[in-house]
Amino acid sequence: MRKFLNGPWVLLMPTLIILTCVVLLPLLLSLWTSFTPFKLTKPDTLYRFVGFRNYERLIGDIDFWIAFGRTVLFLAIALNLELVFGLGIALLINKITYGQRTLRTLMMFPMMFSPILVGFQWKYIFNDNIGLMNNFLREFGVIQPIPWLVDGILANVSIMAAEIWSSTSVFAILLLAGLLGIPKDPIEAAKVDGCNSWQVFKNITLPFLMPFVFIAMTIRSLDVARAYDIVQMMTGGGPAKRTELLWTLISRTGYVDAKMGMANAMSYISIFLSIAFTFFFFYKLVEARQRLSYE
Amino acid sequence: MMLRLFLSLILAVSFFGSFSAKAETELWGDFSGVTLRVKLIGGGQYEGLYNEVIPWWEENTGGKIEIVTQKNHFELDKEIKKDIASGNLDFCVASNHTSFASQYGNIYTDLNSIMPASVLADYTPLILEHSTVDGRLVQMPRHSDVSNLYYQKSLYEDADNKANFKAKYGYDLTPPETWDQVKDQAIFFSNPPDFYGTQYVGKEEAIAGRFYELVIANGGALFDEDYRPIFNSPAGVEALQWFIDLYNAKAVPDGVLNYLWDDTGLGFASGTIAMNLDWAGWAGFFNDPENSKVAGDIGLVRAPMGSGGLRTGWSGSHSFSMTESCPDKEAAASFLWALTSNKAQMIEARGGLSPTRPAIWDAIIAEKKAEGDDFMLMVFETFKMSLAEDAFTPPLIPEWIEFTNVLYPELQAAILGDKSPEDALATASKKATEIMEDAGYF
Repeated sequence: MRKFLNGPWVLLMPTLIILTCVVLLPLLLSLWTSFTPFKLTKPDTLYRFVGFRNYERLIGDIDFWIAFGRTVLFLAIALNLELVFGLGIALLINKITYGQRTLRTLMMFPMMFSPILVGFQWKYIFNDNIGLMNNFLREFGVIQPIPWLVDGILANVSIMAAEIWSSTSVFAILLLAGLLGIPKDPIEAAKVDGCNSWQVFKNITLPFLMPFVFIAMTIRSLDVARAYDIVQMMTGGGPAKRTELLWTLISRTGYVDAKMGMANAMSYISIFLSIAFTFFFFYKLVEARQRLSYE
Repeated sequence: MMLRLFLSLILAVSFFGSFSAKAETELWGDFSGVTLRVKLIGGGQYEGLYNEVIPWWEENTGGKIEIVTQKNHFELDKEIKKDIASGNLDFCVASNHTSFASQYGNIYTDLNSIMPASVLADYTPLILEHSTVDGRLVQMPRHSDVSNLYYQKSLYEDADNKANFKAKYGYDLTPPETWDQVKDQAIFFSNPPDFYGTQYVGKEEAIAGRFYELVIANGGALFDEDYRPIFNSPAGVEALQWFIDLYNAKAVPDGVLNYLWDDTGLGFASGTIAMNLDWAGWAGFFNDPENSKVAGDIGLVRAPMGSGGLRTGWSGSHSFSMTESCPDKEAAASFLWALTSNKAQMIEARGGLSPTRPAIWDAIIAEKKAEGDDFMLMVFETFKMSLAEDAFTPPLIPEWIEFTNVLYPELQAAILGDKSPEDALATASKKATEIMEDAGYF
């Protein structure tokens, strides 16, 4: 006992207690509820164990799997486009010598808006009747209004546009930090050896930047569920489930239908999606750092 | 249960300007030192009442009101569900609604045992019946809602419109009496994208409710006596087809499936919609030149009839409830009375909302007559008639909102052409059956 009290466990105890209370217990409670028919409005149902019934129902629920697939597609497209645009912005800002600080601050403006506000703004922009986009197109002779938030493809593109506008600057900031940290010597040496700009970017800048890319990807893949507010404001997952993502489905099931047991079962299945993305990006991060150290 | 602290339970006559309502039983008491925590529905339309009634109640009783939450009803609903789950019901009074009340189990007090019969006698009996869940009166009704059809009068007075409509449809252009006539006239008036014949709310409980009332008007029903879904029927298909036909004919805006109440209200006020089925509370807004391009040009008729010869009349009442856990039930009962008293209802009636006390109907109609306000007089007389003759509530069951959440995506899918009406209703019916089975109805 004395050995225990004098050992490292004592020092770790505060951390372990806090992590247990703040992370582990809520996780275990939500895992338990996924094996119950727990309804928010019927607290007694928390104690009724129904085994894997919620999971069995979800496995056969085509609506859930369509929302799951759409979420994977949404994440893949949105994150990659945010990366491309963020990289472009970071490279451009890195080039300029005057006003860089001002531009860096301006670039962060979209991040300062709450997702709910972003959703409202873009809902107005894409409104078929009074929206900015259709009125703008009308100036160019597109008389028939485009149903941006109704058409299956256009509605998803509209939501993605709002999400990309809101979050591209996260990539840009992280990649700009990476660019500022790249040593100048290899780049100058490559230029002396006759490499053109593309060759310098491809063989020197990009390999140096890859760890930052994967760190940014990891952070964003975990953080992207913030887009729930944007989707909820713009379409609410509709019409006819055309923009239904896991976040809107889980939220409606848990809070509107009050079926928290089922919502938590959905969440635990979707956690595998987050783990898969995170594992993939960490794997690529380690690989990129190893490649960098070899070179 | 007898209330100990009610110092005065007296009959009094309340005066509203120069008009008086019928005698009212008042429910004052001395509640010095008592603070009631309350959760209220927020929004411009609702908050004026609190600004007047809360100081009035505090002044007369010595009690204090602490507003814990003030948010829209859907957010408030989520918050109260979370409170139930966490067992944290540390408030006394909350806004409620007849369509929502049955979800909340027994958290609210049965007011039959708290409110004196003479107080309850001041409210419309049918509305008190709709405020009752499993034999327990869990809410005091604030105002009632039903929808009627607003239209732009000038469109119906235009000689060219009259002649062209008669030539095309074979009958006179007059404000519609049936939903088939609404469809004909909406298509006739439409000139997209600048002008549309009508519009409808297109998602969530809103479109489910509109579908429900049309099914009833067509002679159908959502459920049988055992709560087995029966809306996948000729009446149901006919109702859904009405929405589809208007959408396909571009007689409603393309984005209508994302519309909720604000969108349809603001749309009609923008002057780009010929006819609009909407609630009483919008009347004043529509006729206010500051807000509306159709002010001074508005007609109103009772909601039209479906093929079953019944008028649509989806109805409900905003209300206030008292928690079982409230430590100061006498004070809370007094506050519930104040929030729904003659004075309170007259304040809201002047804004166009429909009262739940018969005395206030008489008072507001008399006031509008004396003021010569023909528009609001027409509004109150129309809504009084439709609340008396046409109104019906949705099934007052805890599963109503959950049911609407499986119904509306299928309605949308049929309107957008992703499914046939029969397929959409069959899918919704299957999911609704699961909900009712899980809830133990059969």
